[in-house]
Parts: sequence; C-alpha cells; structure tokens
Amino acid sequence: MNIQPPNSSSIKSRFAVKFVQAMKRLSKRRGMGDRYKRYRATRAAARVSLAAAVGPERAWSRAVLRRIKKRRGLIGRTTTNPRRNLRGLVPGGKGMDYCSLLSETAHYITCLQAQVQVMQDMLHLSSP
Amino acid sequence: MCSESMFYGSNWDPIVSLSQSGNFGNSSIVSQSEFANPLMLENQAMGGSLAQFHSDSGLVDLVPRLPNFGSGSSFSEMVTSFGHNPDSSPNLQKGATQDHCPNSDGGMLGASPYGKRKREREVQQGASPKSGEEKQCKDPSGDTSREDDKRKQKSEKGVARGKQAKDDRSGAEPSKEDYIHVRAKRGQATNSHSLAERVRRERISERMRLLQELVPGCNKITGKAMMLDEIINYVQSLQQQVEFLSMKLATVNPELNMDIDRLLSKDILQLHGGNTTPLGVSPGMGSSIPFPPYLQGSFNNAPGTGPPFHSLPQQHVWNTELQGLLQMGFDPDPSGIMGRSGSSKMEL
Repeated sequence: MNIQPPNSSSIKSRFAVKFVQAMKRLSKRRGMGDRYKRYRATRAAARVSLAAAVGPERAWSRAVLRRIKKRRGLIGRTTTNPRRNLRGLVPGGKGMDYCSLLSETAHYITCLQAQVQVMQDMLHLSSP
Repeated sequence: MCSESMFYGSNWDPIVSLSQSGNFGNSSIVSQSEFANPLMLENQAMGGSLAQFHSDSGLVDLVPRLPNFGSGSSFSEMVTSFGHNPDSSPNLQKGATQDHCPNSDGGMLGASPYGKRKREREVQQGASPKSGEEKQCKDPSGDTSREDDKRKQKSEKGVARGKQAKDDRSGAEPSKEDYIHVRAKRGQATNSHSLAERVRRERISERMRLLQELVPGCNKITGKAMMLDEIINYVQSLQQQVEFLSMKLATVNPELNMDIDRLLSKDILQLHGGNTTPLGVSPGMGSSIPFPPYLQGSFNNAPGTGPPFHSLPQQHVWNTELQGLLQMGFDPDPSGIMGRSGSSKMEL
C-alpha cells in the first residue's frame, strides 16, 4: 500500500509541459479577456495539468480527472474554503480510509510543492 | 540509585552496550534474575552513559520503586514469583503471573505496540517472559507507561541484539509462539481484531511520520492532533499559493515560446539564485485572495520565532506580502516550504 513518494523533478517537468500547453491554449481562446474568467481558467488548468502529470496511479489524481470528466464543480472547490478537514482538502479524500488518506496526503503535498515551484519559475521567466 | 534508573532507563542503549561488552554472557542466570543482571552489569560497566539517565525526570518516579534487588516491597512480588521459577515450567509461570496482573498492563502497553512488536520478534525462548511478567505485575501504575514507551522506542533501535533483558515487558503468552510476528500485548485479546487494529495503528503512525518529514516545521510537534492541524494548514496554504500564482499568471498574458525550454532547463540545472529581481507587483490585482498566511508567518519573521499559525491575520495587503515573499530567498527555512527539496534558495 505504500507507494514511494514521487520523483519531484519528473513531476515538475511533466506538469510544466502540460501547464504551459494549457496556458497557450487558454491565451488563444476567445472570450478570455483580462478578467476573472481568465483566472479561473488558469486555476483549473493548473489543477488539471497537475493531475494529468501525476497520472492515474494515485487516488487523488484519479479523483480530479474523474471530476473533470463528469464536468462537475471542478473550479469552485477550493475557493469555498472547505472545512478544516483533511478529507475535504485532498481531492477524493471523502471516500478513503484513514490510512490511505494519509499516504495520499503525503503524495499530494509533494505534488503541490512541485506545482508551486514550477509556477513560480514560470512567473519569474515570463516577467523578470 | 543509578542502577535503578539505569534499569528502567528511558534509554536501552547503555544496557545494549553492556551486553556488547560481554558482561551479559551469563544467560543462565538471566532467567532467574532478570532484574539482577542489568543491575550487576551496570555496576560492572558503568559508562558515562548513566549520566544521561539521571536527568530523566520520568525516572524519578520510578526510582523509589526500584530498590535494590531483593529488598523493597515492590520487588517482593517479583521475588516470590522468582521463587516459582525453578519449580514450574515457563508456561505455568506465565499463567501465574498473568493472573496477578492481567489488567495493569493493558493501558501501559497500549502506547507503543510498534516497538513492542519489533522487540518481540527477537524473543529468545526461555526465561525472559517469566521475569517480564513479574516485572509487569510489579508496576501496574501509569508511571511505567512512560518508561514502556521510551523503552520500547529504544528497543526498536537495539532490537537486533535480541537480548532477553529487553523482553521484560513483552507480552505474556508470546514466548512459545515465536513464529507469530505480531504479538498480542499482555492482558489484551489475541483475536484477529486487536491484531489488525494494531497493524492499522502502526501504519497510521508510519504515515504520520512521513508527513511530518514533508511538512516543514513539524519536527517539534508531537501528537497526532496537532500534527493533523499542521498538515491541514500546510495543504491549505499550498493550495492558496497555487491560486495566487495562477491569478498572477493569468494576468501575465502571453506565455513566451521560450518558456518551456527555459522552464525545463531550470528544472534540470536547478538554477540557484538565477532571478534576483523581485516581481513587479501589478496594481490591478485585487486582494480578494488572502495571501498564504503560512508562508508569511514562517518567513517574514525571524527564523528563530516559530510560525505563529493561529495568530496570523487573514488579510494582507498584496504588495507588501508579495515583496516579502519574493525577498525571502528561503534562507531561513532549510526544508523549503516551497518544496524546494533539491535546490537551494532561490532569490525571488
């Protein structure tokens, strides 16, 4: 049950590629002025790219991808500030037993850290 | 007394070192005088390691309860039960002592089944459980629970030696069943439920330790509840950070084509301090998204002060926070709250 934590750099590169691609597509889309919509789309792209970079091997990435496919409330999740419950924070955490919730959290934290790093780098590169 | 504190010491290492020095060779006596041996050994090979136990406040309570072997009321039980040793078989012995204190150790041993289990794997057949039970009967109070925890934790380290002295507090029944790797604690049911429960608890603590390493600043925090709070805070702050960054990225319009290459090269080369210029703060940004208070608290303060999580304000002015975040350089936090496990600080 204990899959080893991910290789940070591989996740970073995979996420970077996917995210930049998504951002390019986003900028080309019409109706994406400098508005709140753009921000939401960016955020969704970030989340999706991370889950796609991780792949289906973890429960939380599967949950995110499932939510996209169902086209349910993918975007509004974090803004509503879920209750201070780990299950509410980690995607797919509601249906898990406690042990796997903890391991998913560990993996999720690693991936989030990688994501933050990449996005910061992107920011620095694009407008130094 | 030094010997007593040593015996119930929070640190098994001295005893381990004692055994290594060859003093523990008289195993024949061990079965009879399990308590005596370490005491004698200590007297023989007192290192400076004893000094560390004197400062252990947890032992203070225990010290008066451990008079010299053969004297003192607390040992009387032990002595009497020792009297049975040559007469009865180990099983009977265990049965007798089990009757004396079946309940006392339920609480004591509940604390660290992990260590106990590890220790019990090394159980050598024979006399150890007898004396172990007697010792358990002797100290049914909650004082020993602490000692048990410490001892068990230490025994995890010294487990490879398989010394009998460490098995004092092992479960009662196990000595015959050395092929079972999961031992039931003394006074606890051995049915599958409690065993599975213990396995589960072990797993949970494993995961918690893993998480503790991931989340920065969690080394000092002990206790599951506080750790969980810490973890929740951290995850929330990371998610908020992602939102914050995505908002910034959304306004920085065109993603230049060279971005990908530079991004990847940045990952590969792990540029250190490549960008020293702080980001220009775009005034058009609203402050609806609270700046990650987690980072704010941990970095802008002096490194010496711990991040005051609970007192962090929820709303910050974007400009000041952003510049503060950018100018940190992650120097004070070696673990890298930004997750830069591999890279050194990056000037923002």
